[in-house]
Amino acid sequence: MFKQLKSRFGSGLAVGIVGMVGVWLIALVILPQILMIDYSLRPNLLPADIGGPKDTFSLVNYETLFNNKIHLSIFFKTLWSSVLVTALTLLVSYPIAFYLAKVATPQKAALCLLLLIIPFWINEILRTFSWYIILAYKGPLNALLLGLGFIDRPIRFLSGDGGVLVGMVYAYILFMIFPIYNAIESLDTNQIKAARNLGAGWIRTHWRVVIPHAKPGIATGCIMTFMLAAGSYAVPALLGSPGSRWFTQIIYNWFFEGGNWNQGAAYAFLLLVMCIGFIALVMRVFKVGLGDIAK
Amino acid sequence: MDSSVHLDNTVMQFGDFTAIQKTDLKIESGEFFSFLGPSGCGKTTILNMISGFLDPTQGDVKIGGQSMKGVPANKRPTSMIFQNLALFPLMTVAENIEFGLEVRGVSKSERKKASDRLLELVALEDSGTKKISELSGGQKQRIAIARALAVEPQVLLLDEPLSALDLKLRQHMRTELKEIQRKTGITFIYITHDQGEALTMSDRVAVMSAGRIQQVADPITLYRDPQTPFVASFVGENNGIRGKVLAADSNLVVLDCGPLGKLAGRSQGSLAVGSDATLFIRPEHFRLQSEGGMHTLQATIDEVNFEGAYLTLNANTPTNQALSIQLGTHQFSDSLKKGAPVSLSYNELDAIVIAGEGHV
Repeated sequence: MFKQLKSRFGSGLAVGIVGMVGVWLIALVILPQILMIDYSLRPNLLPADIGGPKDTFSLVNYETLFNNKIHLSIFFKTLWSSVLVTALTLLVSYPIAFYLAKVATPQKAALCLLLLIIPFWINEILRTFSWYIILAYKGPLNALLLGLGFIDRPIRFLSGDGGVLVGMVYAYILFMIFPIYNAIESLDTNQIKAARNLGAGWIRTHWRVVIPHAKPGIATGCIMTFMLAAGSYAVPALLGSPGSRWFTQIIYNWFFEGGNWNQGAAYAFLLLVMCIGFIALVMRVFKVGLGDIAK
Repeated sequence: MDSSVHLDNTVMQFGDFTAIQKTDLKIESGEFFSFLGPSGCGKTTILNMISGFLDPTQGDVKIGGQSMKGVPANKRPTSMIFQNLALFPLMTVAENIEFGLEVRGVSKSERKKASDRLLELVALEDSGTKKISELSGGQKQRIAIARALAVEPQVLLLDEPLSALDLKLRQHMRTELKEIQRKTGITFIYITHDQGEALTMSDRVAVMSAGRIQQVADPITLYRDPQTPFVASFVGENNGIRGKVLAADSNLVVLDCGPLGKLAGRSQGSLAVGSDATLFIRPEHFRLQSEGGMHTLQATIDEVNFEGAYLTLNANTPTNQALSIQLGTHQFSDSLKKGAPVSLSYNELDAIVIAGEGHV
């Protein structure tokens, strides 16, 4: 890679580019992570004891999670809910992406993309909070449903996971739509016509032709959504109820309320390992390679 | 089985633009029928209407006598070979061929039998497990044919399927397509802008221009008796000379071609005295005057090309009309050179006069 950079930009600039990337990777990604791992392996000590005889490496902080039934259940609930968020986002995004890529005229597609993007010019907290208002017990959605006669008393959208799911699907929809849109757009429309021509209905055309082609895009979208969902703090904090706490909130509590950075670091590291492991597993199940995603 | 295709007063409009003018055309069962025309003439639109990707604005498409109104593309007894073939790159060769049968719920063993049989038909017996990317252009072509035939269509639609192949392969595939059509006996509807393909393979050809069918005829008639100036100049090479009708009977027309004098040719349709008409003479129907012939034209040679079996001359008449002339090699002489005058003659029965001031 350095050779290519050198031949294109000359050695001075090439060293600069590689140097900057290196600094960024080491100082801003790798070192903080190592520091977190280091924290997570040490006990939470008074400043005076740091570096003293009590400051030894152990896995105690990791064991805490497995000994705490509530935290463990929230850990797995976070995993499961993130899967659910990813699945729902995929379900909503795929038809939109297909419509944009293959059905809509260029003008309509441009308009739709604009309409999708504009809300994201607003701060995430504000967007999430607007969902809090929409979904409130006496909020506009309940008023609308009551007014239309679909329900006879308001629904508590915000107790339980419902609010969190809705908020997250909305928050991450673009991360799903764009990779899928890109993937489907690169599909030759004649492939779809050929499948139709050979007798395939819409479901089979998608299942056998469009989805296999879009698989790398779907995988990219799912990974991003899953990672964002599992690592989300704002949405569960705003839209969640006490019964629907997210694991990130527990990590936050360890850091900033419990004042136990070591414990928090262990939890954060476990979440990271869990997410990466889960993604690796899913990629293997669906036979998606890293190379496909990089396309 | 009746696998005729009837375009029953079909019109196709996109907004204000009429892609297909009112067309009534019956393609017989088992016929090899071609639509020939320049790009943008509407021939692909016709194919899309037959296959169900487009619904005609007016009129109907009937296949085997059945109206196709409201029948979606995936329920029609047609099968298409796309210009870019559109093979499924993520499936193996056999999966591609079997796709249409898989859709129809045919059992795995039956599918295998069918794909084996079709691979044999296209002479690619051992390719079933290959990926599409491992095939050559010609092989892909044949797999596309096999895939389209697997669903046992009544009508096979071919959208310029040979255009991506090199010349030699293209000529070979022409013979092969014709052979497959003979073996299967189904109706082939072939779209092309390449008249060589249309003329060599087809039973009948429809020449199209600007959304209108100009003439439907067998290849020989099309070449000998073009009915419109467009057909005369589009099919094969032709020299068009404009003039006014001086005299006409049922066989012959005499045109006043101004400084070029009076020229005669066979009449195509009735021509009123005094009306505008164009005389068409094919390059190969010119002779040097020294060899005889009834009508003569004087011209100046612009270019001489020796092509082996024949000579081509580009010449200009005194009225600055460019002529393309093809002579047998035996007529070659040193006097045929750039800038030299030449006296050309033709037999009036070889020339044809068509009303209107067509393409020249």
